[in-house]
Amino acid sequence: MRHSRHIHHASHTFVLSYPLSLSHRLYTIVLGPLLIVALMYVIYSAYPVFAPHSSEVVSFSTMAQGALYTLGRITVAYIFSLIFAVPLALLAISNKTLEALLLPVFDVMESIPILAVFPLVIVVFLQFNFLNGAAIFILFLNMLWNIVFALVGGLKIIPKDIGYVAHVFGLRGFSYIRKLILPAVFPQLVTGSILAVADGWNIIIVAEALHSYMPGGTPAQDLFGIGSILVSAAANAQNGIFLTAVLIMVVMIAFINFFVWQKLLHYSQRFRFE
Amino acid sequence: MNNVIEFSEVGKRYAGEKNAAVRRMSFGVGEGEFVCLVGPSGGGKTTVLKLIAGLEEPTNGIIKKPANVAMSFQAGALFPWLTAFENVALGLREKSMPEEELARTVDRQLDMLGIFQYRGKYPADLSGGQRQRVGIARALAVDPAVLLLDEPFSALDPKTTAELHDDLIQVWQRTKKTIVMVSHLIEEAVSLADRVILIREGTIDSIYKIELPYPRRENIGFHHDVMHIRKEFFK
Repeated sequence: MRHSRHIHHASHTFVLSYPLSLSHRLYTIVLGPLLIVALMYVIYSAYPVFAPHSSEVVSFSTMAQGALYTLGRITVAYIFSLIFAVPLALLAISNKTLEALLLPVFDVMESIPILAVFPLVIVVFLQFNFLNGAAIFILFLNMLWNIVFALVGGLKIIPKDIGYVAHVFGLRGFSYIRKLILPAVFPQLVTGSILAVADGWNIIIVAEALHSYMPGGTPAQDLFGIGSILVSAAANAQNGIFLTAVLIMVVMIAFINFFVWQKLLHYSQRFRFE
Repeated sequence: MNNVIEFSEVGKRYAGEKNAAVRRMSFGVGEGEFVCLVGPSGGGKTTVLKLIAGLEEPTNGIIKKPANVAMSFQAGALFPWLTAFENVALGLREKSMPEEELARTVDRQLDMLGIFQYRGKYPADLSGGQRQRVGIARALAVDPAVLLLDEPFSALDPKTTAELHDDLIQVWQRTKKTIVMVSHLIEEAVSLADRVILIREGTIDSIYKIELPYPRRENIGFHHDVMHIRKEFFK
């Protein structure tokens, strides 16, 4: 079953990926950009046609601005994913019947290739002339299931005695969710979020360069962001822009990893049951 | 002595289980009494405790019990993200106790259990014995009419267990709480409780009144009460 793989994956990502020392964490921040530069150097040496040339006009500040636009879309989509994932996961394990009913449905939903529904999503959002909404919705769909399955996995490993403690000491309703459920699944929420946001970065090029999914679409209809800059640079053989955009994206991801996810992973250790 | 807990023909069968966990069980626990339930694993001891705590509903029969029952669990069952202080305060916060009174109450319990100096520590930084003390302090903090203890010493080393036995007896004598404890050790039951109930296959096999002065730890393993219960236990 696909969801069990996800739960397994999510719960182990934490253990395997958390670098404890500062030097190790710093290493992860420079490793990505260094690898990209090295890879590009090898490619350009072997195939000079891919090397940067002088007729490229997008400025660095425009690209950095594009990266921030992209980050904004991913952030909004992530917040929506969180808002929907928590009640979905809670609903799925609220009783055995719902669990048997909903988990296979979630499994199927997660298996649907996101690009298959993208043209439909664009058509719907075009009605409202809200293409940013289409991009965010696609990112949201791509992120949601990572968080849902991670949360379901987290909810299932809450020790029975802890649930009894909550009952005996009167934790009910919202208090039960706020004081027990949310802290108890915090480690899984963090690992699920890391996977979700990584999936968001994976799909960002498609989500921003959406003209190819529009009936009669043109590049002018693409959303401004690092993803669409990458697509445009690749299409126009602007190798320097392409390389810079890739580097900006990798550096941004590495910084978010260092300053957000690694800190959250460290903090989430306190929330783990022994 | 008034019974604060009364089981009348109580039965409990879990869904999907062929055999009942508890069968037509009747017994009472007097106010201020320390009762220990012993018996083989799977005999229904913990189910009895859960029925008293309201964690399970009986399939048949009637249970009379006070509303304010608190329970301490194996290995403490502390919330790992809360400090010792916040774990003990858990039940009090649900009762919306004013912050000043809450702090006083929690500190008093931590002090009584000898763990005041660990009030700011997280469970991961506490030893097994300290966690168990926090679990007992959390249960006592809500001032329960009945304190339930589910094998509280099963995960502890002998020295820590002996220290906690002494402290538990002191707490019981000081607070006059009614205590119902589950244990799988006959020596432990006889050294702590003033009544031991042997439960086997969901029914009460026998009840023993222990009339020994405290402290009872010395040579308890060879006491005739222990020998007798052990004989019944392995029958």
